[in-house]
Amino acid sequence: MNASLIDPALLAQDCPEALTGSLRSGHSTCIRFSHRGDLLASGRFDGTVVLFDLETNGLARKLRGHTAQIQSLSWSSDDRYLLSSSQDCKAILWDLKDGSRVRTVRFEAPVFIADLHPKNHLLFVAALFEEQPVLVDISTPDPVKQVLTSAPHRSQIERDNQTEKQAAQDAKQTTTVIIFSASGAHIIAGTNKGWVNIIDPNTCQNLYSVRLTTGVVILIRLTASGKDMVVNSSDRIIRTIPLRNLSSPELDFHNFKLEVEHKFQDLVNRLSWNCISFSSTGEYLAASTWMNHDIYVWERGHGSLVKILEGPKEELSIIDWHPHRPAVAAVGVDTGRVYMWSILTPQRWSALAPDFVEIEENLEYIEREDEFDIQPPEELHKRRLDLEDEEVDVLTIEPMKNEHEPGQFLMPVLLDVQNSDSEDDIVAVGTGQFRRKTPGQEWLDDSQVPGSGDEARRQTNGASSSAQPGPKRKR
Amino acid sequence: MSAEDSELRPESSRPNSRDVDSGRSGFNTTSPSERYYTPPPERKELHYKLTMTLMGHKKAVTMVKFSPDGKKIASCSSDATIKIWDVEAARYEHTLEGHLAGISTIAWAPDSTMIASGSDDKSIRLWNARTGRAHPYPCLGHHNYVYSIAFSPKGNMIVSGSYDEAVFLWDVRAARPMRTLPAHSDPVSGVDFVRDGTLIVSCSSDGLIRLWDTATGQCLRTLIHEDNAPVTSVRFSPNGKYVLAWALDNSIRLWNYVEGRCMKTYTGHKNEKFSLGGSFGVYGPRDNRSAFVASGDEDGAVWLWDVGSKVMLQKIEKAHEGVVFSVDTYSGPECDMIVSGGDDNAVRVWVQKETEPNTMDSDGARPAKEAEHVPDGTADGVDGDAVNGDVEMVDASGPQ
Repeated sequence: MNASLIDPALLAQDCPEALTGSLRSGHSTCIRFSHRGDLLASGRFDGTVVLFDLETNGLARKLRGHTAQIQSLSWSSDDRYLLSSSQDCKAILWDLKDGSRVRTVRFEAPVFIADLHPKNHLLFVAALFEEQPVLVDISTPDPVKQVLTSAPHRSQIERDNQTEKQAAQDAKQTTTVIIFSASGAHIIAGTNKGWVNIIDPNTCQNLYSVRLTTGVVILIRLTASGKDMVVNSSDRIIRTIPLRNLSSPELDFHNFKLEVEHKFQDLVNRLSWNCISFSSTGEYLAASTWMNHDIYVWERGHGSLVKILEGPKEELSIIDWHPHRPAVAAVGVDTGRVYMWSILTPQRWSALAPDFVEIEENLEYIEREDEFDIQPPEELHKRRLDLEDEEVDVLTIEPMKNEHEPGQFLMPVLLDVQNSDSEDDIVAVGTGQFRRKTPGQEWLDDSQVPGSGDEARRQTNGASSSAQPGPKRKR
Repeated sequence: MSAEDSELRPESSRPNSRDVDSGRSGFNTTSPSERYYTPPPERKELHYKLTMTLMGHKKAVTMVKFSPDGKKIASCSSDATIKIWDVEAARYEHTLEGHLAGISTIAWAPDSTMIASGSDDKSIRLWNARTGRAHPYPCLGHHNYVYSIAFSPKGNMIVSGSYDEAVFLWDVRAARPMRTLPAHSDPVSGVDFVRDGTLIVSCSSDGLIRLWDTATGQCLRTLIHEDNAPVTSVRFSPNGKYVLAWALDNSIRLWNYVEGRCMKTYTGHKNEKFSLGGSFGVYGPRDNRSAFVASGDEDGAVWLWDVGSKVMLQKIEKAHEGVVFSVDTYSGPECDMIVSGGDDNAVRVWVQKETEPNTMDSDGARPAKEAEHVPDGTADGVDGDAVNGDVEMVDASGPQ
């Protein structure tokens, strides 16, 4: 509702311009904005997943369950569920209503990436380290895993002429990145030999393959609309590929072709790219760079570099563009801090007094005809009241974009999120002054679960520590 | 805040803000232009009746609030306690004790599980509304009395205004200040969040109403009335497009904050010394509701005005002995309710029934003749001594 009061020039800006803040809880290795953009999930080196509230820049929840570095995070479309995958060979689906684990899925190998189906939060795909990717149905407590292929799709003629060596090579390929298309009707996967496969999740058949590069496909991401795809690969080139016809019903994979629209690279410095992200509309593309402190932003229409966002004095790894604001978040490799770039909003001084106007140059003031007339106050007052004859509507609510609607999932506000974490026991009490946090008594009653649901369950089962009265000290 | 403390400086130096309407009754203020205003077809009169008197506070009740789900009423008082009452069961539930001085303001979290309170002991406390227990960490940071607070619509932030002339934004989860706004040059008497949480409004006895961007903390607009009367309370309209501001010149004004214009002035009541608070309410048929403004006054009455026509819909005379500090409304599926709190230490609940037969007040006289009622200030329900009649008394002053 603030849009009507904000300088339109600021509203028109769609690309971040400066480092505006940072968030920290442990050493972050992976971040992802929620679809509504009010939360940022951050996976940590120690396996904890934390949620930052972007309105308060404070911690909103901690989810403990993984024991090794978090590799990927994926939100359900209603922002109620979060899928995390980790190097500890597990993927966990979290219910953010109470912080409990809906499902824990174990794999044979560390997980590269796990991506939730856009419409069904009980279905996901995962790419595994040196294993074939899997499609996992977790609608039942026992997860059903279906192995997908990494071998490229070959036409009949190709198959007939295939040499043994080629066949062996095809079989040796592994998938390094796998995601669902925006409709969920297809799976898009990238392999370690530079192939991109389109797989049907129903039949698990590879429908189409194209070799984009000879290097490893590092990351594939889509725009919010799902109409464009961007591929980062180890050959130091970022490719954007339109997917416009992927969702059409009369899609025929015999005539289907993925064509590269733009290739972004730095020919001078030969930079390689750590991570890439589309802007909310897909108009811009941001990339963090290897061994470099900057974020490169390209404009996709012309394929030109529009901005280099200067960062902190450290290399940046995972990067994500806010779903509807001109803001970018990125993780610092050395400190594990999450940095935020956004637009700068200077204070308009005319807002502080209604009779101030911001003018470009001096104007001669022309007084109103009756400006200095002396009138009886009753007269003035009466006239003022008489002017108030417009109709006002104080009730009708106009629906707005990106607004929380009643009935939508809203994460409960927990009051003791920061408790019981060694690092966050230190609280800032002033500039440069810190003190250890005083542990307080259990304030929430049993129906409100602290931290994660698992912890609460453990507490009730064990009935050891939580039964003690008085303050608990963690270390 | 005791009643004496909550008294703001009377602006006696402004003659034109004084003579305005003190002598008139609500209906004589109808201005010529309002003759052209075609009133909507539904009845232009309301009949709220007393159903409950909630006794227990030992000093003046400074604020009363319905929980967002309408099941509870919270009241705070200058006796440094908050009391929670169950509306349906007409039952006293909890007394929240912990503040060291009078409490001026309370706010319910949007999910009705938590109450925040601001006190003259400079702290803001969070309370579990179900258990009545206090959160271990009070929100400390203000340098003077906390005078007004509001929850953000998601419940993750609190905005507070204080006598230290600043507006603070608090992170509820961490109970620490997120942002401090050097907002005014006089005590900040009122704050509110807009319904999507992106704007904050604050008002002060310096006569200014300011709108702030929640995300950046920048002032986006300042509203000031020509008379510059101290503004004592401010609220966004239910749709967030207007702000309603109580001023100490016997006026409540509805502002279009985008254009910076005063759209409506509600007058008739007496408000020159005390900081009063009120609310928007709704009336009329369910599919086409109209809005009213509810406020107390310094003579013990509760006033309800139609938002569009500025016509008085009901004046509950002698609702309280002395000043009516706070009024809140709730529109439920069966009946609409108003709660008021005043200088006589009482909290009173008033009900307007939608459908007549299923009755909560057994006063059957009202329904039949209600259509012919002329809002002339003499019909029953308008000036009848509402404290009499078939009402429940709930007393919490026992050993609690």
